[in-house]
Amino acid sequence: MLDQFLLGLSVVLQPHVLIYAFFGVFLGQLIGVLPGVGAITAISLLLPVTFYLDATTSMILLAGIYYGSQYGGSIASILLNLPGTPSSVVTCLEGYPLAQSDRAGLALFVAAFSSFIGGMVGVAILVLAAIPMTVVALKFGAPEYAMLVILGLLAASMIGTGSQIRSFAMVLLGIALGLVGADATTGYYRFVAMPELADGISLVSLAMGLFGVSEVIRNASRRPAANAAPLIIKMRDVIPTRAQAKSLAFPIVRGSSIGSFFGALPGTGAAIASFMAYAMEKRFSKTPMKFGKGHLPGLAAPESANNAASQTGFIPTLTLGVPGDAVMALIIGALILNGIIPGPRLMVDQPELFWGVIASFFVGNIILLLINIPLIRLWVLLLRIPYQKLYPMIIIMICVGVYSHRTSVTDVLLTLAFGILGYLMKNYRFEPAPVLLGFVLGPLLEDNFRRTMLLYGGDFTIFVTRPISAVLVVCSALMIVWAVWSSLSHRRIPAPSSP
Amino acid sequence: MATVKDHGGQSKAARAVSGGVLLMAGFVMLFFAWGYPTGTVNQMGAGFIPQVIAILICLFAIAIIVIDLRAPQWVDAGGMHWRGLTFVSAAIILFALLVDVAGLVPSMFLAVAVSMFADDQARPLLVLIYTVIATFLGWLLFLVGLELPIPAFWR
Repeated sequence: MLDQFLLGLSVVLQPHVLIYAFFGVFLGQLIGVLPGVGAITAISLLLPVTFYLDATTSMILLAGIYYGSQYGGSIASILLNLPGTPSSVVTCLEGYPLAQSDRAGLALFVAAFSSFIGGMVGVAILVLAAIPMTVVALKFGAPEYAMLVILGLLAASMIGTGSQIRSFAMVLLGIALGLVGADATTGYYRFVAMPELADGISLVSLAMGLFGVSEVIRNASRRPAANAAPLIIKMRDVIPTRAQAKSLAFPIVRGSSIGSFFGALPGTGAAIASFMAYAMEKRFSKTPMKFGKGHLPGLAAPESANNAASQTGFIPTLTLGVPGDAVMALIIGALILNGIIPGPRLMVDQPELFWGVIASFFVGNIILLLINIPLIRLWVLLLRIPYQKLYPMIIIMICVGVYSHRTSVTDVLLTLAFGILGYLMKNYRFEPAPVLLGFVLGPLLEDNFRRTMLLYGGDFTIFVTRPISAVLVVCSALMIVWAVWSSLSHRRIPAPSSP
Repeated sequence: MATVKDHGGQSKAARAVSGGVLLMAGFVMLFFAWGYPTGTVNQMGAGFIPQVIAILICLFAIAIIVIDLRAPQWVDAGGMHWRGLTFVSAAIILFALLVDVAGLVPSMFLAVAVSMFADDQARPLLVLIYTVIATFLGWLLFLVGLELPIPAFWR
């Protein structure tokens, strides 16, 4: 294990790879700071760029944006009470009161440090889990894959925000969009309304439309009601006192464990992990009345949780090729566009890529800790850029990115159509993230389901007679029971959507 | 319990519209998928999964309509952003129509200029200045930096 990790480090520490790792986390941090531009928008904007890079560097770049944005997201939450990413919504609860009482420096330091610990715990668990998971995953046949995808899609719609029925309907819509084009098994053209759709809908169009264009439409005229961020942060009192540090140790440990767990589950991600960590911290605290008024453990736990989750989220993505949330779906999509089939063979066939990406998380978290607090002036300055100066650039990045992907004007127009769809969906309380997940996982589900039926003569009992598949069936059933039970008792935790 | 007058003045049609559109999409999908070869469970044809998905979409759409009609209160979606919708759409359509004919620089210029009016406080002079800067940055990024194979101007 250590050998492989060192192999990965040797890949990352090559200068031309390291520069992309740095660029990725820097961009992620920046994107996280800017309210209104999420990791998913940034990654879809950069998808076309990755066609010019090799698979390893593009993975390192895109993954860096993802976990980098978790660090950046907390800055806007603490200083402006505006969460930069969905997973930093709870950071506002304790972070903003701290900033108001003149302890912004302390809050930023605690957030960055617990993020770092959480991230490192996540990376460690990823390294430990990678080989055993791959061993299990190599035993996966078509029935297991089909059930795993079903479990992931169920989890994504059951645990997210809003109505489970609405989310699942959106998963189905995503699967439907994924069906467009030639059938992979027989080559039969399905839903090809115009010749340009013969190759299917492009992931770039769908992601940029649903997440990029729709947000621009919504926010073009929006001006933040909140006052501008303070330009000067008092840098004294940044380091917590010994007593404060002591009170943070267990919340960080608890947050990291909760985060690692929820990150590794398919369908749940950093946002849910941070909510769970905060709720848990509050429930088991001896002083629950301190929460909401700038209580440091309430800041440290969710911050470590969301970073741990954003690292362990790569366990299913890298070992099984099954993305846990919409961001991971995009990263998987980037791999596929680079001609690499994600799955358990990845570690065996491409150890440099596999371990290089994992080692880049280790390096990336260190870089993030180093650029976070020292460059705080820069991040605060970025917070002052009005959205009105950003969105025209986003529009041309979307247009040029989509157009250059397949040199297709139709794709650009489709992106607009998906943008309007995404905008209307949100107005009617439908989340766009499940659509993307369904779109990426749909073909995987269809392929494995059809292959299972073919291999086992149309016998549905195969799903419960194979042991791994049976476990997945039980998990899916429990998920449905839990969803029905919780919607009947109306006690769902109001968590935000995955990014 | 939900009574009719609790719906905040929303008519039944307005509350059912999102589920209704989804139901329609499901029917359209089913209509086309019906013609595809279904095959057997053992050896599925190209139409099997699309038909199943279309039927599931219809079922979920019906469930959503029922839930929305019975909901005790209407969750306000917030007004439509007509200005943003119009100008962003116009900008992207302009880009799409022009990029093949006029090249990257003019189409980026127009797309930025038009999209900036999506902001209700846009001022023509500022828009012009910013558009020139943004187009220059775009040229620098896409044609100089990434060397995309798109002609800058009329070919």
